[in-house]
Amino acid sequence: MSNKLSSSVPTDREVVLGVLNNSEEALNKLYTGYFPMILQFILNNNGDEDDAKDVYQEGIIVLYNKIKSGDFELSSKLKTYIYSVCRRIWLKKLAQQSKKSNNISDFEDVIAIDEDVEQHEEKDRQFDKMQEALLHLGEPCKTIIQDFYINNLSMQEICEKFGYTNTDNAKTQKYKCLQRLKKLFFQS
Amino acid sequence: MRNEIELEGIIEDYLGGKLSEAEAAAFEQLRLNDPTVDHKVVTHKVFLDSLKDYASNLDLKNKMDHAHDQIDVDALSRKLGPHPSFIVNLWRKNKSAIAVAASFILLTVVTIYSIQQTTEQTGSYKQMSAELNRLKSSTNTLIRDVKSSQTSKAAVKPVKFGGTGFAISSNGYILTSYHVVEKSDSVYVQSSKGDLYKVDITYKDPINDIAILKIIDKDFSLGTLPYSLKKGKVGMGESVYTFGYPKDDIVLGKGYLSSQTGFNGDTLAYQVSLNVNPGNSGGPLLDNNGNVIGIINAKESYTDGATFAVKAKFLQEALSSIPQDSVVGKISSVRKSQLYKLEPSKQFSKVQEYVFMVKGYN
Repeated sequence: MSNKLSSSVPTDREVVLGVLNNSEEALNKLYTGYFPMILQFILNNNGDEDDAKDVYQEGIIVLYNKIKSGDFELSSKLKTYIYSVCRRIWLKKLAQQSKKSNNISDFEDVIAIDEDVEQHEEKDRQFDKMQEALLHLGEPCKTIIQDFYINNLSMQEICEKFGYTNTDNAKTQKYKCLQRLKKLFFQS
Repeated sequence: MRNEIELEGIIEDYLGGKLSEAEAAAFEQLRLNDPTVDHKVVTHKVFLDSLKDYASNLDLKNKMDHAHDQIDVDALSRKLGPHPSFIVNLWRKNKSAIAVAASFILLTVVTIYSIQQTTEQTGSYKQMSAELNRLKSSTNTLIRDVKSSQTSKAAVKPVKFGGTGFAISSNGYILTSYHVVEKSDSVYVQSSKGDLYKVDITYKDPINDIAILKIIDKDFSLGTLPYSLKKGKVGMGESVYTFGYPKDDIVLGKGYLSSQTGFNGDTLAYQVSLNVNPGNSGGPLLDNNGNVIGIINAKESYTDGATFAVKAKFLQEALSSIPQDSVVGKISSVRKSQLYKLEPSKQFSKVQEYVFMVKGYN
């Protein structure tokens, strides 16, 4: 097609190393580098800017998980990989909205990535479940759990932050919260 | 309750690898002995993994949102989005469908057209008199100027119509197609040797497309006609040949009789498989024995080699219109042709002397 994208993109090696090192700068470069490609694809296939953002972010997550799991080989260009993943995700979304998904206008080469996308969908379900569970957990449990497990605060810090008289109380509270969260998570 | 909390603490430490070697070994022993503990460890691990994934995904999403905010999405959309015109989009998206539809329509049209072509001869009918263009007529004039010194009959007007005619008597009666001379005021004939003679049109038959010309020069005389007229039926596939003047020199054409009827089943004519060109009209159609079996008068425009010739039996009426006392050595339908059993090449050289170019002026 005519609109080949010429914005600056990082080299594939740069991206892989950056992802493995959790470099935020590498993520920024990666993100801004390939977004126009996906935006073009989505806009020309019955989607809007928000669809493009969602699909693209999912695609990047798939790429991240793939790289982090260690079995990412540069057998194809990163660009092709991202494009193929996003394309697949968008086609699924179109099918779910029962919009027509024939006559897809393509802008790049496409490779088979079904397996990666399916794995991602499974993980995405887990993510949604956890998000849902945390939402239903309510305060202060949600913050306690997030502080302890996600932000890696110590029991002592949590104790002070929430004004518990001693760490044992905090521990008991955390335990109760966690039990409820587990229940919500596994039941849903 | 207390114990539960303790246990969970130990499980977390165990999964986090924070237990000492001895403690870990003891705990693993406990897992082996107590399935409930083991189950708790497994579920906790699954749960913690999910939580970790959740955390890292959330982190990634936040970072990406941050990156996203730096992109001028609107400007990009305008640049990369679909063309605002509905028609252009329709075309871009449905290129392949349109292509398929178009080729289908094309195929249908071609099929229908070809069916019509085969069931009925609708190809247009083109009479073979040459309407010479200006370029050609100017060259003709030059030739005629040279000739006129010999014949002392000057013709300076350009030729408008051209065709072929052949002698039907030895004293200057020439048969040609009516359409060759129908629009002409003055007509000349030119022999294969290049001699030019002025003629009168003595007989016109538009229906059978026949005309008879008479060379005005009283001294004109040809030898005995080598060919005779065959009014009987001619078999399909019989070899035939003709002479004509599609250019300024005489041209021989050979072929075979391909149908007993002419254009659209016209019983007045034969169809012959023979390539003719404008200028061949009025030429004699002869069989291998030197019998005139017809007069070339037309061809089908869109089919090569489908030429039509007026049957010889319709010449009879034309012949009988000539005042009998003025005819010398009239073409015979009874006498055997002199060309009978003569080699083709010998036949050709004899016959061509009796074939004339007809030039019409108006």
